[in-house]
Amino acid sequence: MPTTLRIALLAGLLALLSNLAVIGFIYLRTHDEAVVTVHQQVVEQGKVLADVYRSGGKAALDDAIQDTMTYADPQTAIAVIGPRGQQVIGNLETEPSLALPLQEGYHNTLIRLHGQTTPREAALVVHRLPTGQWLVSGRLAGEGFAIRETLERSLLIALVVAGLLGLVCGLILAHYVGRRVHDIATVADRISGRDLSQRVRLSGAGDAFDRLGRQINAMLDRITGLMEELRLLTDSLAHDLRSPVSRLRSAAHAAAEASDPREQEELLGSVIRQADALMRILTAVLEISRSEALTGRKQFSWFDVGELAAELTEMYDPLADERGAVLEYDRPPRAVPLFGHRQLLAQAVSNLVENAIRYGSAGGEIRVRVEPGERQIRVEVGDRGPGIPAERRDEARRRFGRLDSSRSDEGAGLGLALAEAIAHLHQGELVLEDNAPGLLTVLQLPVQSKQVRAA
Amino acid sequence: MGRKILLIEDDRETASYLTKGLNQEGHSVEQATNGQDGLFRATDGSFDLIVLDRMLPVLDGLSVLKALRAARIDTPVLILSALASVGDRIEGLECGSDDYLVKPFSFAELLARVNALLRRRESRVDPAEHRLTVGDLEIDPLSRSVKRSGKKLDLKPREYLLLEYFARNEGRVVTRTMLLEQVWDYHFDPGTNVIDVHVSRLRRKLDEGFEKPLLHTVRGAGYMLAA
Repeated sequence: MPTTLRIALLAGLLALLSNLAVIGFIYLRTHDEAVVTVHQQVVEQGKVLADVYRSGGKAALDDAIQDTMTYADPQTAIAVIGPRGQQVIGNLETEPSLALPLQEGYHNTLIRLHGQTTPREAALVVHRLPTGQWLVSGRLAGEGFAIRETLERSLLIALVVAGLLGLVCGLILAHYVGRRVHDIATVADRISGRDLSQRVRLSGAGDAFDRLGRQINAMLDRITGLMEELRLLTDSLAHDLRSPVSRLRSAAHAAAEASDPREQEELLGSVIRQADALMRILTAVLEISRSEALTGRKQFSWFDVGELAAELTEMYDPLADERGAVLEYDRPPRAVPLFGHRQLLAQAVSNLVENAIRYGSAGGEIRVRVEPGERQIRVEVGDRGPGIPAERRDEARRRFGRLDSSRSDEGAGLGLALAEAIAHLHQGELVLEDNAPGLLTVLQLPVQSKQVRAA
Repeated sequence: MGRKILLIEDDRETASYLTKGLNQEGHSVEQATNGQDGLFRATDGSFDLIVLDRMLPVLDGLSVLKALRAARIDTPVLILSALASVGDRIEGLECGSDDYLVKPFSFAELLARVNALLRRRESRVDPAEHRLTVGDLEIDPLSRSVKRSGKKLDLKPREYLLLEYFARNEGRVVTRTMLLEQVWDYHFDPGTNVIDVHVSRLRRKLDEGFEKPLLHTVRGAGYMLAA
């Protein structure tokens, strides 16, 4: 599992780097502190000796040096050096290779004390005495350095441990992440292998992986739904086209066979009518897909829905009359402006009206209403026909969802599906309600905000 | 009265079928098989009508149309297209075409539209100033009053518009889709015989009680108003 390993190494590396930063900080701070402490001690000591010389003269200084050499801790370095570099008094080993920096001030340099074999680093303060001699005092840095070395060792160990711990944590983390991702990947794999029923198992922790899993599951549900819809559509399209195509075929066949020219002409007319009906079905199917794909958007404009409904009611009034129904229109009290596709909405409303005339004429009255609201505009078409029971309304809305398929009617069963697609194009819905009695079909179209209107 | 028609269509079968039919009607037809060639010929401006396929090689139909209109060539254009949806039709009309016919179409439908467009080009004078007469039928577009044999007919507004459209296309076949598009300004295919119902109502008011009918049904094509 190279991914897991990569994650583990990355985690280890990150742990190492962050620990390095922390440890480096500690190291620098403690180091500085040690140096500062030594510096302070040395300067203090130098100042004290200089004061002794000022108040008591050379004799007092010699005494003080003598005392220091006798009683002070073995880290202390002290001496008076002659102008030519020779030691007058003190505990330093002077040798040419370890030339003292004979200048006023504070110095870090290598020195060797009496009884020591190797030179060691020391912090020194050098004063020039009025006699031309140099007063040198200071401390070996050994003590501070010893602490520092211990510290350095511990820090190094800490660093190694941190790195190892990081690696272990990384491995654990990588394993966990890997397992969760692996679960999802397995599902994706199976889906690629055509098994759409697979779903990602959720841990219930509600974490990012669960969210991802949920989204993938939702996506799969949608795909399955679409596939199902597509399958239904193809099935029903094939089914619905089969009978008109076979009718067309037999009409054409009969026309070819007919000997009487008048009979032939009649049969050819029927061929054309059948072909037209087929074209209508195909156009409607295409129109539905296009509306759903939102292709019509650029042709949106402002228009009065009330006016449109009035026009369509007027247009269908004679047809309803012929079928024994009365088509009524309740005109809204004011204009109902809507930003939409006028032609497509005209088609949607006309589909609803045609539907009501076709199936609800027996009930006598068909009522069209436009109801303007704060949030949405309702365009209602209600008939007093047999209606559709609540449990079958979804079916009626589906493409080719003609409920009574035995009826050899002119409707291809696409009307409501197309009206719904057009409603969706306008971010709206097609709702089927009970008109008690009868069917009430409603286009619910959201009202656009003022901003959109201004744009 | 033969007219010059430019046919821009890449499908040879359709092109030769249309050319043959239009020639029989007495029109002369020039053909172009791609958009670029079609545009080149059309810019000549000497045609009475252009029949333009929407899907063409090299340069598509709508681009040809836009280029023509941009060049201020106002020859009437009839678009032929397999794109049948309402949105496609509107798009075609908005690009400056004068009519839009969906494939497959009957030749009668095409001819009816071609003749309507040629006729429109013929009468460029303000039509509202003229009285329309068809046989003993008199129409006054200004007052919207209609008389037959001197007797006033009482028509509803839509019935009047329907009759005026028929009268302006006197002696020519008018199809159901043409009526829906021109009289109602809708571009969808109704699933019912709603147009026929309107025409038969008009016919009742127009022809009932008169010996000679004016409004005729043309089988397989549509209707015609003729004395």
